[in-house]
Amino acid sequence: MTDFKKDFPILDKEIYGKQLFYLDNAATSQKPNLVLDTISDFYRSDNSNIHRGVHYLSEISSEKYEKARQKVCDFIGAGNPDEVTFTAGTTDSINQVARSLEPVLKGNEVMITGVEHHSNIVPWQLAGAKLRAIPMDFDCNLLMDSMEITAKTKLISISHVSNVLGSVNKIKEITGIAKDHDIPVLVDAAQSIQHLPLDMKDIGCDFLAFSGHKMYAATGVGVLYTSERFSDIMPAKGGGGMVDRVTLEETTYLDPPLKYEAGTPHIAGAISIGAAIDYMQNIGMGRIRKHEHEVYSYARDRLLETDGVTVYGNTEEMCGSISFNLDGIHHYDTGLILDKMGIAVRTGHHCAQPLMRSLGTEGTVRASFALYNTKEDADMLIEGIEKVRMMYA
Amino acid sequence: MRDAVQDEIIAQFDGLEWLDKYGLLISYAKELEPMDERFRNEENSISGCQSKVWIRTYKEDSRLIIDLDSDAMITRGIISLLLKVVNNRPPQEVLDLDLYFIDEIGLKSNLSPARADGLASIIRRIREVAEREVN
Repeated sequence: MTDFKKDFPILDKEIYGKQLFYLDNAATSQKPNLVLDTISDFYRSDNSNIHRGVHYLSEISSEKYEKARQKVCDFIGAGNPDEVTFTAGTTDSINQVARSLEPVLKGNEVMITGVEHHSNIVPWQLAGAKLRAIPMDFDCNLLMDSMEITAKTKLISISHVSNVLGSVNKIKEITGIAKDHDIPVLVDAAQSIQHLPLDMKDIGCDFLAFSGHKMYAATGVGVLYTSERFSDIMPAKGGGGMVDRVTLEETTYLDPPLKYEAGTPHIAGAISIGAAIDYMQNIGMGRIRKHEHEVYSYARDRLLETDGVTVYGNTEEMCGSISFNLDGIHHYDTGLILDKMGIAVRTGHHCAQPLMRSLGTEGTVRASFALYNTKEDADMLIEGIEKVRMMYA
Repeated sequence: MRDAVQDEIIAQFDGLEWLDKYGLLISYAKELEPMDERFRNEENSISGCQSKVWIRTYKEDSRLIIDLDSDAMITRGIISLLLKVVNNRPPQEVLDLDLYFIDEIGLKSNLSPARADGLASIIRRIREVAEREVN
């Protein structure tokens, strides 16, 4: 197996005099040299505002920005690059949809699941919609047969992969049901874009949201895919760069995607997403999936074999995050000791309080994996857990 | 001004590796008298902490008595140290205290507002109570 860690300079780091083992990838991933160099090169040699200038640098920047859009389009199998909008991240993407669809959603219902991140809960509440969750079993498998679609259900908005459990939701099954009822579907791909190959034509959703920073690109930038059939929804934000004609009485807008990109976008960030896609595609999504699956399954099996460990969630397909607790030890106490051993995990409710309530816990320890993690990292985690238990014995 | 209790704590942590420091915090946690279950309620809880923290205060012979507890061991350890320094003093003395031991034993990062054990919120609450008693 190729050592991908060598592509990520930060992973060489020592903390508290110990080698860093980074297992907090669901919060944010580290960046490969290719992405770091792309960001640095942009500011060093191309930096200029886009779509506005007549000058040389502006043209170069605009070209690179649009090339990044094309890369995203190809990467997710969108119909054309006009369906791809750069946003500030997953949260921003979802909020923009909520704002644009507010007239339809207000007083109506949005169907979500019980494993959602707050960013797929709060925007709908702000838009005045009521939430209904697809029921799930004890292992957090969605029970599609019990999904209650009503006349008030105006949108189905679901995470592809849970940021807490790593459970993969069967989004194709959901888009199939939604199609029968003619209800649009938003997929939150924040935790899947970096792990699983995605194809918009195959999935058949209307909106897809993800962040750059969880897929090896910069923070503060993300993507909202909007299928062509929703190309006429109102923009959530107004400002420069998105208008055709402005008078004090009325404004007309440019066509998508520019219509949805008010103000100067995160140009370097968007270009970094393009570089991150190059990085992943150079390896191959199939190869990434195979390697990650091996490491993830190994880590999960080792945790399940360890006495006194509760592992949450168990679905047919899983990736990314594993949530667990050590019996009788507070998740925060576990995280602090692991940290001092050089192992970076996250503890708490992971911005998913409704899920914590369903699991009957205040919080969990979450180890989350990326393409550079290895079985050795999983072994370190288990070693760390043994140490935690000894310390609190 | 140096304070004998804090200096003693600092001496104990001096030169220890990180894991040993946490080991020491855990032993302090075990020393801490648990708060009576009936006081561990919403009203007495300090919000903004990843672990739950409860506080009770009252005055006894013009001294401020503070009772603190948490559901996490490391937080209990920190609380236990904090109480050694601030508990059972006249409120004005509590206000005048410079809690330098936190920095010197290497727990300064625990004072940042985002920190999950909410040490900063706990100290803020204690100072608020002391201030009210002084006025």
